[in-house]
Amino acid sequence: MTEETNLQSTAESLRSTRTYGKFRCHNPSCMGRLQPQAGDKQVKCPECGMEFRVHWIRPDFPRIRGPVWDVNRKLAEEALAKKGGA
Amino acid sequence: MPLNRKIAIIDLTTGDIDVKPIPLAVRKQYLGGRGLDAYLLYNHTEKGCDPLGPDNALIISGGLLTATCASATARTHIMAKSPLTGLLGSANMGGFFAPEMAWAGFHHLVIKGKADKPVYLFIHNGSIEIRDAAHLWGKTTTDTQWAIRAELGDEEIKSCVIGPAGENLVRYANVMTGIKNSAGRTGMGCVMGSKNLKAVAVRGTMDINIARPAEALEYNKQFIDQITSAKVNQTQGTLGTPFIWGATNSWGGLRTRNFQYNQCEYADDIEPERLDDIATETIGPHHMTGCFGCQVHCRAQYKIPSGQYAGKYDEGPEYTSQGAFGAMPDCRSAVTVLTGNHLVDQYGVDNLEIGSIIAWAMELFELGILTTEQTDGLELRFGNDEALLEMVHRICTRKGWLGDTLADGGIPAAEKIGNNAFDYLIQVKGMNNLHSDERATPALALNVATASRGSDHLRSRPAIDLYHLPEPVLRKIYSSPIPYEGPLSSEHTDYEGKPWQVFWQENCYMAVDCLGICKYHTVFLGATLPNFEDWPKVIYYNTGLELTPEQIWEIAERSNMVERLFNLREGLSRDDLKKGDMLNHRYFDEPCLRGAPGVVGRTIDREKFSKMIDEFYAHKGLDKNGVPKPATLKRLGLKNEPSHLL
Repeated sequence: MTEETNLQSTAESLRSTRTYGKFRCHNPSCMGRLQPQAGDKQVKCPECGMEFRVHWIRPDFPRIRGPVWDVNRKLAEEALAKKGGA
Repeated sequence: MPLNRKIAIIDLTTGDIDVKPIPLAVRKQYLGGRGLDAYLLYNHTEKGCDPLGPDNALIISGGLLTATCASATARTHIMAKSPLTGLLGSANMGGFFAPEMAWAGFHHLVIKGKADKPVYLFIHNGSIEIRDAAHLWGKTTTDTQWAIRAELGDEEIKSCVIGPAGENLVRYANVMTGIKNSAGRTGMGCVMGSKNLKAVAVRGTMDINIARPAEALEYNKQFIDQITSAKVNQTQGTLGTPFIWGATNSWGGLRTRNFQYNQCEYADDIEPERLDDIATETIGPHHMTGCFGCQVHCRAQYKIPSGQYAGKYDEGPEYTSQGAFGAMPDCRSAVTVLTGNHLVDQYGVDNLEIGSIIAWAMELFELGILTTEQTDGLELRFGNDEALLEMVHRICTRKGWLGDTLADGGIPAAEKIGNNAFDYLIQVKGMNNLHSDERATPALALNVATASRGSDHLRSRPAIDLYHLPEPVLRKIYSSPIPYEGPLSSEHTDYEGKPWQVFWQENCYMAVDCLGICKYHTVFLGATLPNFEDWPKVIYYNTGLELTPEQIWEIAERSNMVERLFNLREGLSRDDLKKGDMLNHRYFDEPCLRGAPGVVGRTIDREKFSKMIDEFYAHKGLDKNGVPKPATLKRLGLKNEPSHLL
């Protein structure tokens, strides 16, 4: 412990990967980066088509509040039908 | 020095109190907190002891770093043999209790025996007194704490207490401190109640001499910056843990209607943003608060806005209460969630367990397995908010046949109800699951199946598995401090590499539980938060103890293995649905019906799940039956346990 180094730990080095003003699509198989415009209340993922309601923690800090229910329910039902589900 | 904090062994039957130092050799094996508690439980109980008998040992502790200059060392850990599961009982809470206990001179209490009348302990600057608690019996958790402060004339006293649920021996009663901090899981409040122990009150002004205070403070500045700059913690500081709902209810990872659905649709009134609005309206814009030494401030303050309990003050609700009084019983009212949260805080009962068991009973009622005769006329259907809250009262007071039956926990209740009630009970090792649905996430399914205290998200969950992190990032995290060259996958539906992630997280969480740190300050919900490589300096500057990341890993591994030894001694068996590392059949047989396109239709593949268990056991050094190999016990220095060093 007496030997000091300037090497960053894993956590410290990963800090540079943080992005602000963006969030990831909440489809865990997609996780595309989405960047809503300031004040946007909804956002659609261009990769997978899921749509989300947006909440602004700060004017520069958006997050996903939840799905746009009707859209995502339809996507779920289509996917389930393709997989032969109920 | 933190290393000078002592252990007290208290016999409530005889009144004997034995105070001892904690040998440095034991510290180096277990550090403190949950790890040392596991050692103590294994050494202070006999095989097959009655969880509600005088021979069970109730252990209350802080971690190695509790009350030092390190960040967020507020956690109190409580351990005993669980009256809910018959296996390891373990629960952990924030607040201010453990730091006060450290200032009073103690890191660990081992409480044995049974008092012949209600008592409470008062610990003050090295002394321990057993006091009469007859006047406290029957009081709620908060009334008990305020009465102790008034009686002893000191507003700075911190107490951990039980409420009426613990007195009534509800098998999932919790231990509480403050308004809402709960050592919630596995029925530790029930064990306290069985010992006639109403509370442990502490007050301390004994200095904890920091080994290198200047370096400790300086390094902690970096630590705080690392923690508070994380987006996940900034979000928590605004919305509290309910923020998780936004993700899990978007993709379909939220257990709803017991286990019928994996998404609680159109439930906007119980979303975190709505709960935050209510807190703002009833308390004001600055309604977030925190535990000792923490900068995240994830706990909201609120008043119930309307209904029978309108105007009542409480804190939270946590994400767990959204599930307990929202998704699982399919009640979509913020007032119901906030009221349910208030009731469990006052009664002193595990919100997860009670919400889950009521949701299970609702499904049984709708299937006709439970009748109105058994519910005393209550229409116990999903979405019936009044019935939900009525059942909380009945269970905590053991009122009526069903209240009394459900108070004994899921497995005994299923046996009493009969038919095929057990098939619908979503539990592992006798403890109900969090309101998470793991059918689309094999890593998380493995986590809940193998967690040492029963189905649980805070013992080994690789939550970041859902972030679709690039493989090199995953490898950077999961290949340190122990090199790992096996597979790792960014895809949450994969089975490959997940056992290693669960093993790594199991050791990570054990390490923070030994140190007394909150899990929101490590790799739980955020990938960029401190872990093994960051802790040696914190430990050294605060305690003088020199440890490498690899040594901390080994301590965590050893501590987890002692928990495993305890469970094996008490009957753990790999595929046993009631006492094993096994999931309810619905995980394998019933597909997800809601959520993201990649989630719908998913089940857990039974064969691949079994292979994950094999691989997980291999990482831990267990044989195919989940029993540690002799070489593993030798490597971890556990060949001679129980060794009775303390």
